[in-house]
Amino acid sequence: MESVISCQHLTHYYGKRKIYEDLSFEVPQGRILGLLGKNGTGKTTTINILSGYLKPRSGVCRIFGSDIQQMDPLLRRRIGLLIEGHVQYQFMNIEQIERFYAQFYPGQWRKDAYYELMAKLKVAPKQKISRMSCGQRSQVALGLILAQNPDLLVLDDFSIGLDPGYRRLFVDYLREFVKAENKTVFLTSHIIQDMERLVDDCIIMDYGSILTQQPLQQILDTFHRFTCTVPEGYELHLSDAGLYHPAVIRNHFEVYSFLPADEVRQRLLKAGFPLQGELSSENLSLEDAFIGLTGKY
Amino acid sequence: MYYKEWIKTRWYLLLMFLATSGFAGYCLLRLHRVALIKGMGHMWEIMLTHDVVFVDYLKFVPLVAGLLLAFVQFVPEMYHKCLKLTLHLPVSHLKVVTQMLSFGVIAILACDVLNFVILWSYLHEVMAYELWSRCLLTALPWYMAGLAAYLLASWTILEPNWRRRVFNLLVSLLVIKIYFICDAPASYNSFLPVLLVFTLALLILNWISIARFKEGKE
Repeated sequence: MESVISCQHLTHYYGKRKIYEDLSFEVPQGRILGLLGKNGTGKTTTINILSGYLKPRSGVCRIFGSDIQQMDPLLRRRIGLLIEGHVQYQFMNIEQIERFYAQFYPGQWRKDAYYELMAKLKVAPKQKISRMSCGQRSQVALGLILAQNPDLLVLDDFSIGLDPGYRRLFVDYLREFVKAENKTVFLTSHIIQDMERLVDDCIIMDYGSILTQQPLQQILDTFHRFTCTVPEGYELHLSDAGLYHPAVIRNHFEVYSFLPADEVRQRLLKAGFPLQGELSSENLSLEDAFIGLTGKY
Repeated sequence: MYYKEWIKTRWYLLLMFLATSGFAGYCLLRLHRVALIKGMGHMWEIMLTHDVVFVDYLKFVPLVAGLLLAFVQFVPEMYHKCLKLTLHLPVSHLKVVTQMLSFGVIAILACDVLNFVILWSYLHEVMAYELWSRCLLTALPWYMAGLAAYLLASWTILEPNWRRRVFNLLVSLLVIKIYFICDAPASYNSFLPVLLVFTLALLILNWISIARFKEGKE
């Protein structure tokens, strides 16, 4: 499948602080890819690099085959950008902002899509964006992206500041639009439940690297939490690359893994783990899987 | 692009045109009142013997007007990094920035022309060519300072790094000082063409700020 976004060997530092090194990933056409990671792992840095507002120390990012740093301005017509906090021109009202953007997208601008969404907002047409709630602003920002009708959407923390109703409205509208029109989406969000409803593929980042990039369903099907009881006072000494974040709380042991239960059992026994009784396996939500992969702290 | 700039600045522009015209009108009113009491001959004499031009009240008005325009136009762009939206438009960044700045430059020039027309329309009726041209040429560097203040303030506001912003501010203060070095009337006359070119060249500084913003130099 053709890649819409291709980032190769990205390395970036803020001063002497390494954000990541040799990071590579691709986003295939027609997929919704969610970038997950704890605070400070480089999600916004990646979005900034992708939207051309940050020059990485090394590596190259291409969108539609074109190097972002030397991109033809006209190619930006095909990219919709949502800035963190649903930022839009505060001094305009919903009519003015539509009129302003429309002139830059001749032949592709869908005025009706914008006003269809605006009809759901309980705001006067002349009300300035600065006087809108965060939820209303998010709908204006989404409406403008739908009207732009881009082939690629880059959304930075789209759920920030939204109440559950607006988040659901945003996710449902976005998913319907993207799936009906075969668009590609690259997004980040702090609310992982929203990601679970929306994304096809996940990249989970840790400090300095990518932990995994897989289809969401594959993560949900193959990543499990394994639990069992251990003798009281047992001190954990377990180091295995296939077993994520083993922990003991009192006499309760848990570990996360992509491996099948038998394989986990064998590895634990091989490491001298005092396995007593049955090793239980649980299916996980994306949020649990995220915590299992990145750790609680 | 001009539409966005117009929406953003229209109320301030109205205020700027009214306020600067008001100051120009006030200078003329003052001159007219003294001329009525003392006679115009007395005014001419004072101008020639005491180096007075009667438009001193305008000295810092264009400077303040230019500074405020830069604030009104570019602070909203930097608020929550709204400039990212502008730079994401499918137009070359050079063109975007040039259009935004040219809007401000044209607005300031239009305001300046209006002010000069107001001054000229009265002064040329009551003074000899040598005297009214002396008044206007004395005021010209102050109006150029307004343009420079606009370009330097926008350079500073668009700069993404705070420390660098302070540096830009200090450089701006030194540059603005050039326009107010000498108080003697018409003392800049021979220097005016160079000063005009220098002032317009300050536009280039803004492209540096935009390039730094694009590279994420925070």
